[in-house]
Amino acid sequence: MYQYDKFDHTFVAERVAHYRAQTLRYLDGKLSEDEFLQLRLRNGLYVQRLAPMLRVAVPYGTLSSDQLRMLAAIARKYDRGYGHLSTRQNMQYNWPELAEVPDILEDLASVEMHAIQTSGNCIRNVTTDEFSGAALDESVDVRPYCEILRQWSTSHPEFDWLPRKFKIAVTGATEDRAAITVHDIGIRAHRDDQDQIVFDIFVGGGLGRTPVVGVLMISGLPVEHLLTYVEAIMRVYNRFGRRDNKYRARIKILVRALTADGFRDRIDEEWMHLKSGPSTLTQDEVDRMRLHFTPPKFDTLPDFTDALAQQRLAEPEFSRWVKHNVTPHKAPGYAVVTLSTKVTGIPPGDVSDEQMDCVADWAEAWSFSELRISHEQNFVIPHVAQNKLLELWGAARAAGMGASNKGLLTDIICCPGGDYCSLANAKSIPVAESIQRRFDDYDYQHDLHELDINISGCMNACGHHHVGHIGILGVDKKGAEFYQISLGGHSGHSGIGATLGQIVGPSFARRDVNDVINKIFDVYLANRTQEEHFLNCFKRIGLEPFKESIYASSD
Amino acid sequence: MPVLIKQTNQTQGEWSVAPLDQPKWQSSDTWSKGTPLILQVDEEPASEYVEASAIAIEFPAFIDGRGLSLAVLLRSRFDFTGELRAVGAVHEDILHYMVRCGFDSFELGDDRDADIALAQIAPYSDHYQASVVNPEPAFRRVNRGHNA
Ligand code: SF4
Repeated sequence: MYQYDKFDHTFVAERVAHYRAQTLRYLDGKLSEDEFLQLRLRNGLYVQRLAPMLRVAVPYGTLSSDQLRMLAAIARKYDRGYGHLSTRQNMQYNWPELAEVPDILEDLASVEMHAIQTSGNCIRNVTTDEFSGAALDESVDVRPYCEILRQWSTSHPEFDWLPRKFKIAVTGATEDRAAITVHDIGIRAHRDDQDQIVFDIFVGGGLGRTPVVGVLMISGLPVEHLLTYVEAIMRVYNRFGRRDNKYRARIKILVRALTADGFRDRIDEEWMHLKSGPSTLTQDEVDRMRLHFTPPKFDTLPDFTDALAQQRLAEPEFSRWVKHNVTPHKAPGYAVVTLSTKVTGIPPGDVSDEQMDCVADWAEAWSFSELRISHEQNFVIPHVAQNKLLELWGAARAAGMGASNKGLLTDIICCPGGDYCSLANAKSIPVAESIQRRFDDYDYQHDLHELDINISGCMNACGHHHVGHIGILGVDKKGAEFYQISLGGHSGHSGIGATLGQIVGPSFARRDVNDVINKIFDVYLANRTQEEHFLNCFKRIGLEPFKESIYASSD
Repeated sequence: MPVLIKQTNQTQGEWSVAPLDQPKWQSSDTWSKGTPLILQVDEEPASEYVEASAIAIEFPAFIDGRGLSLAVLLRSRFDFTGELRAVGAVHEDILHYMVRCGFDSFELGDDRDADIALAQIAPYSDHYQASVVNPEPAFRRVNRGHNA
């Protein structure tokens, strides 16, 4: 894991002091509401429907046990005893006091954390594959490059006042768990013929009101040029991105206006001046960053396959959990564990302080004190010896985190929606809960295979509804909450870019959503060939059969 | 009264508050070499601008970062070495960004407090990335060994 050096500690401490002074100036009436807004956003503080919300950066979703314990302590001390895992791998608190935020930031700094640039029109926390450094299908552990980007983008003199927020995602595995093609910049790291690490860079993807899949700007970019190339993109965007209309201000709109080729020409023109300049990465710097992410000292473990099979036979619940929530690890005898937060009755992603403490303890005991937050709003314990799985499962179950539903329909991705968010058109949490209740039966869920349901409370698409196999979007119809449903989206995998879902038709009242979902399942079950997953079935039969079924009987 | 915040000693990083002078800023269509030039944030920089006696960039809003990129281009691409002044919506909390993008004077509106502004010029002792005032990023300047 990355560890702060003196430079990082000094910077973050100065940032806290700076923000404390800004908060005092605001409380003193020296800064107007609008002025302070811009400053607090860049320090993670956003005002929601009910109270301020503080978004803490979890750089590329990686945390240590000590850091998570601090997050638990903050939830206890400054909040109501819980936090929320966001779809951008961050931790959010819903009830902090504005005047106390500098104290929270100081507590965070003591464990090498911050909330810098988690809101506002600036470069946000870089996200990545939650299985980085552990996944079997990974060719490059991208965390060193994420950290390089984090440092480069932190308080950048030129790029902290962009036309709109800016999100970068990086992956180095076959399966794209970071959904890079729906980000402003998506970076795919891989190895070229000479076994050198290179990057393919996609620009202009994004969800929100105008969902677009990013386009490839350059392929095979050598590591040393990473920062200068990104700088060229940022400068073109900062200068030419629209600022007159916030719905037209993301980079995707600029890419579309200039066309992909036109945009690439601009970048190249800019990059010509920057390439090989002082911001070119040195081998020393790359090596230094890689050292921070050297793999933990894995034990040489005896093969546990047979014993695990026996354990699974003896305990069917455990077997289900292994099937869904345990992923192959690159080190023999180890496994990656996902702890689901998706328990019916609890908003997706919400975790209590006690649960955080438990997860921290488990990571310490069984995963070299390392853990992750996934964009599916779950915890990941990345390096668990297979012979400890049963024990971990038992502990997780006792703490309400042992659900065997990763990737299944009840593992719903859901934004805070109308219960918390002032931008919402409709609530999203109760919709998730009612779906979870209705389709709770494990055998039914299992029969449906992997199925992503994503819910957003408005066009801003924090619940990534466009890339859900089933996407649900809250819309406002004459002041009433309605839901628009789309089908067939996915966030990209195995080198294939994302696909955006297709809207089925007119939206539905909340009470009808479950029935509509049920019809969708029925059409799928009636039409699928053996073992065919929802997405493939949808691709084959198209939208029509679903539409027919949904709207035929709705009158 | 609007005032001018100006760098008085570059190497020492000294700044002072002075009464506002009023150079006869010319916009790019009327400007001629040797006279002060005022640019809007959406204008293209040009190589002949290095012969301006001073350049002002007018910020339409303090959250508009275009002027920052324009300043960087004038300084680092066209090597403009004369006075570079931020005018218009100049906010004390943006000064430290502006300084690092190459501005060395600021016209501060009469709704701003010059003392507060002076205190906001350099809230940080160092930064990670390269800038106009420090063209080398930290990784080229600072020994950041694993446990440094
Ligand atoms: S999608 Fe809309 S309602 Fe949901 S969190 Fe984002 S802004 Fe709020």
